[in-house]
Amino acid sequence: MANNELQQLLPVLLFILFGGMALGFAVAMVAQRNPLYSAVSLIGVFISLACLYLTLQAPFIAAIQVIVYAGAIMVLVVFVIMLLNVEEEVRRPVRLRYLVPVGVLLAAVLVGEATFMLQVGRGAAPDHFLPSRPSDVGLTASIGTGMYTKYLLPFEVTSVLILMALVGAITLARQGRAPLLAAPGNVTEEQPRLTAGGGPALKPGDTAATGRAFARAQIASGEAAAPSSGAREEEG
Amino acid sequence: MVPLTWYLALSAVLFTIGVVGVIVKRNAIQMFMCIELMLNAVNLTFVAFSSYFGDVTGQLFVFIVMTVAAAEAAVGLGIIIAIFRNRESLDVDEASVLRL
Repeated sequence: MANNELQQLLPVLLFILFGGMALGFAVAMVAQRNPLYSAVSLIGVFISLACLYLTLQAPFIAAIQVIVYAGAIMVLVVFVIMLLNVEEEVRRPVRLRYLVPVGVLLAAVLVGEATFMLQVGRGAAPDHFLPSRPSDVGLTASIGTGMYTKYLLPFEVTSVLILMALVGAITLARQGRAPLLAAPGNVTEEQPRLTAGGGPALKPGDTAATGRAFARAQIASGEAAAPSSGAREEEG
Repeated sequence: MVPLTWYLALSAVLFTIGVVGVIVKRNAIQMFMCIELMLNAVNLTFVAFSSYFGDVTGQLFVFIVMTVAAAEAAVGLGIIIAIFRNRESLDVDEASVLRL
């Protein structure tokens, strides 16, 4: 009898524990001024949500939550925070203080709306898993079957999205850097740098094509004389 | 057994916290993290409905939402780094005009 009561009580206790953890971490994330502490709180939210997914008997989504969100995405965020060495948020100027009451007002409206919707649909929301529920919902096999049969097109479109994100991220990361191969148009304005001995100084990224283009530009602008056969003989 | 309504209420509160964060925060990275929180709140709704009604479609949607979130993270953080290079600051108020 006590065992049966425990079985009834345990899901409720788990929900209160992990739901409370998720709420606490979420509030801490918004309240923090230091972005790094915010990121750590957000990882806490993700872990709590993964545990909630386990209580909902969705082990695949729980594992993906930990691997993709808490693993990949948050590592990227923390990496960027540390790369940019972001300082703590400074106090906002007076002209933007009105955003806090606006945020609170919007939060009240959203919570009221959600409460209303939950009240309206209270009779329709089940308290238990439906009896007709297949036993394999949430397991990797059922998700894979659905993804590669009925929902194959969304899955493929997702791969196109990933490709676009890849190209976009590379384009953004390359922004502002000098082109690796200098085109003739890039080098005409540049004066040659000479070493102490009088020869042209090489810098990383220079290619033979750069030098030839540079020489052609100088000849074209009259700064240097075109090589004649007589000059070649003198050198020899 | 926990009623479905509890999960929906928790999800609504998490989403609201994310909305408030996006409005109140000025640091671009923290706004970005609040958006991630909102995505996760919606994911919780999907998984709850999927489990209670025994339909696996909701969990497939969660998978796709996570993919979109990963793509968003890659591009969004790239944009944030580009803004930081130009302005030496992550304050979104200083990047309110779409030019340098």
